[in-house]
Amino acid sequence: MGYTILLTGATGAIGQELVRVLAKRSSVDVVYALSRQADVEESQTGVIPLRGDVRLVTLGLSPREYGEVRQRTTLIIHAAADTRFSAPLPELRAINVEGTKNVLAFAGVCPQLRGLVALSTVHVAGKRTGTIEESSLGHDAGFVNNYEQSKYEAELILRERMKDLPIAVIRLSTVLSDSKTGEISKLAAIHQGLRLYYHSLAPMIPGTPDCPVDLIASDYAASGIAGLACDGFRGGKTFHLCGGNDFLTLAQLLAQTHDAFMTYRPSWRKRSIAMPAIVDLPTFVLFAQSVDDVGDYLLRHSVQVIRHFAPQLAYPKVFDDAGCTQALAAFNIEKPRVADFYPKSIRWLVESGWADRTITAEAVVR
Amino acid sequence: MVHFRLCENFRSQPMPATAKTSVGVSLIEYVLGEETVSVEELAARGLLETPALRMREFGFQYVRVSSQSQYELAFEAARQLVEKSHTDPRTIDAIYYVGATPDSHALMNGDPRSAFHYPVAQLQYELEMTGAIAVGVSQVGCAGMMAAVSLARNFLLSNQSAERVLCVSSDVLPAGSRREMIYNVVSDGACALLVEKGGSTNRIMSYRQITKGYYWDFLHKKNEIAAAYFPTARAIIRDCLQGSGIEWPALARIVPHNVSLRSWEILLGLIGVGREKLFAENIAKFGHVIAADNWMNLRDVSTDGGLALGDKLLLFTFGFGANWFCMILEH
Repeated sequence: MGYTILLTGATGAIGQELVRVLAKRSSVDVVYALSRQADVEESQTGVIPLRGDVRLVTLGLSPREYGEVRQRTTLIIHAAADTRFSAPLPELRAINVEGTKNVLAFAGVCPQLRGLVALSTVHVAGKRTGTIEESSLGHDAGFVNNYEQSKYEAELILRERMKDLPIAVIRLSTVLSDSKTGEISKLAAIHQGLRLYYHSLAPMIPGTPDCPVDLIASDYAASGIAGLACDGFRGGKTFHLCGGNDFLTLAQLLAQTHDAFMTYRPSWRKRSIAMPAIVDLPTFVLFAQSVDDVGDYLLRHSVQVIRHFAPQLAYPKVFDDAGCTQALAAFNIEKPRVADFYPKSIRWLVESGWADRTITAEAVVR
Repeated sequence: MVHFRLCENFRSQPMPATAKTSVGVSLIEYVLGEETVSVEELAARGLLETPALRMREFGFQYVRVSSQSQYELAFEAARQLVEKSHTDPRTIDAIYYVGATPDSHALMNGDPRSAFHYPVAQLQYELEMTGAIAVGVSQVGCAGMMAAVSLARNFLLSNQSAERVLCVSSDVLPAGSRREMIYNVVSDGACALLVEKGGSTNRIMSYRQITKGYYWDFLHKKNEIAAAYFPTARAIIRDCLQGSGIEWPALARIVPHNVSLRSWEILLGLIGVGREKLFAENIAKFGHVIAADNWMNLRDVSTDGGLALGDKLLLFTFGFGANWFCMILEH
């Protein structure tokens, strides 16, 4: 018997890719693709789109759907999340914490359940620095944004329930693009940040030049999740699905971005746009405060985009991913090198017209 | 390590300090508008966009407003300089006349042909600088005086017989016009400099100019300029320091253009220099004086006994155009 999977967050940045990857697996019979939008590609064999909402105890399913999914599900992949860095904590908790509780409650009543894989973020480490082990969680270092905190709180609950449910946690780092094509299915904060740089609206970034920037390819993320969930599920474990020791430093990332803009859009050269300055956190905070005080709408919102994720770079850390890479090696899943796929992502962005649209405050905040 | 690319910009060549190659700013005189107006009064007159309280937070307290024309201020600053220098005005070899706006370069009287009435020529005549060539320096905004000093330096080095140049900067905003430019308050004023070959005071050690034409339309690129200002400033300052062969610890003072103190605090954070090196006293007194304020500050920090002979000084400014300018002097 193959897996019958309930996938939450099926239309998210990772969820979309996961649906495709899971549907192709011979070990998967059915994927219940749950999302609030219910616009999952129905044409895929074995994929049953479900409209739902993890904020509800019933997951937003009708009694008939709830009963059917509960009876048949053997594996849950919980990918639904509110990933807005700047959202108020109560709003984020509604999906990231309460939603997780509801999925756990559902898992508790699935008679055939073999495993629950919960997706999280490496940034539950918050403001910690140094090497972050896969097994470590609890800390009092604080967080850069509310998103990190809400996912941390969700992980605390997941840890607690590992005692009585087969739960594995996969912490993802920042998902950039497809490793082969550079394609980006959904623009995230990092892509917005790059766009600000392209348009000369990114003056400075907090951090140090040698601060690691951990990025992964979306295809690696999806195949890694599928592998860890379907081929080698191990309850009670936490995995870092990330770049690990294969990272770009902040200075390298800016230089590669600059070079890629020059290569893929030669006319950009004549703008002579300076690379964002790498500054200490107090200087960045003072600048952001000044922009808040007097800046135009566009600049204020541009700085806000940077402010909600970039301060993480002021807390340099490397995510140890030894357990994850060892597990994935057994399934012949290799990690693409960031130096190879990063320029492809910039090329895709430039060639997709992403850079050509006039930048507005509305576009920045979206 | 990030390597900033300084494209299409001018870098001065290293300058060994010999009598024939050394050029310095030996004397500075300035005048400000006669009326002192507080930022609160400016706000009450509707001449600020940003609230007065915020301007205070940014370090501004007063501006100086002139009822005289820009030429009258320029004349007065130049007259004082010639008088105090005890220099025969006929020995001045060149005049570089700086103004940020077109109005500063024509003595208009309603007749369109008066656009050719050049103040630099009138100044040459009225101060009897009969041996001087007369040139206007424009289109570099607040970087005009720095540009003039660099032009003067190059003129002196390339003309064996030339000994001294008068640089004059003057700008007066039209009566009743707004006094705020990108979150800075602006005063009327004029400044005159004597740039001399073999001068040992304020010897020019190195200078850098970066022009980024992408930002030429400042009305529509205001946000982009605000964002580009800091990283480009850091790059040019680092490059200029490197060109002078000195390290940060050897630098005695930073002599700023009088933009907001907040802006300087951010820039100091970027370049990793303590606040104590910044001469900021004049920001509260009169704010930004277009192209002249670095040099007004240099005179005041010298007169106040804040400098010793041999002190290394960094001057930095930004002008629309868009121009970043940095200069290292040895006092």
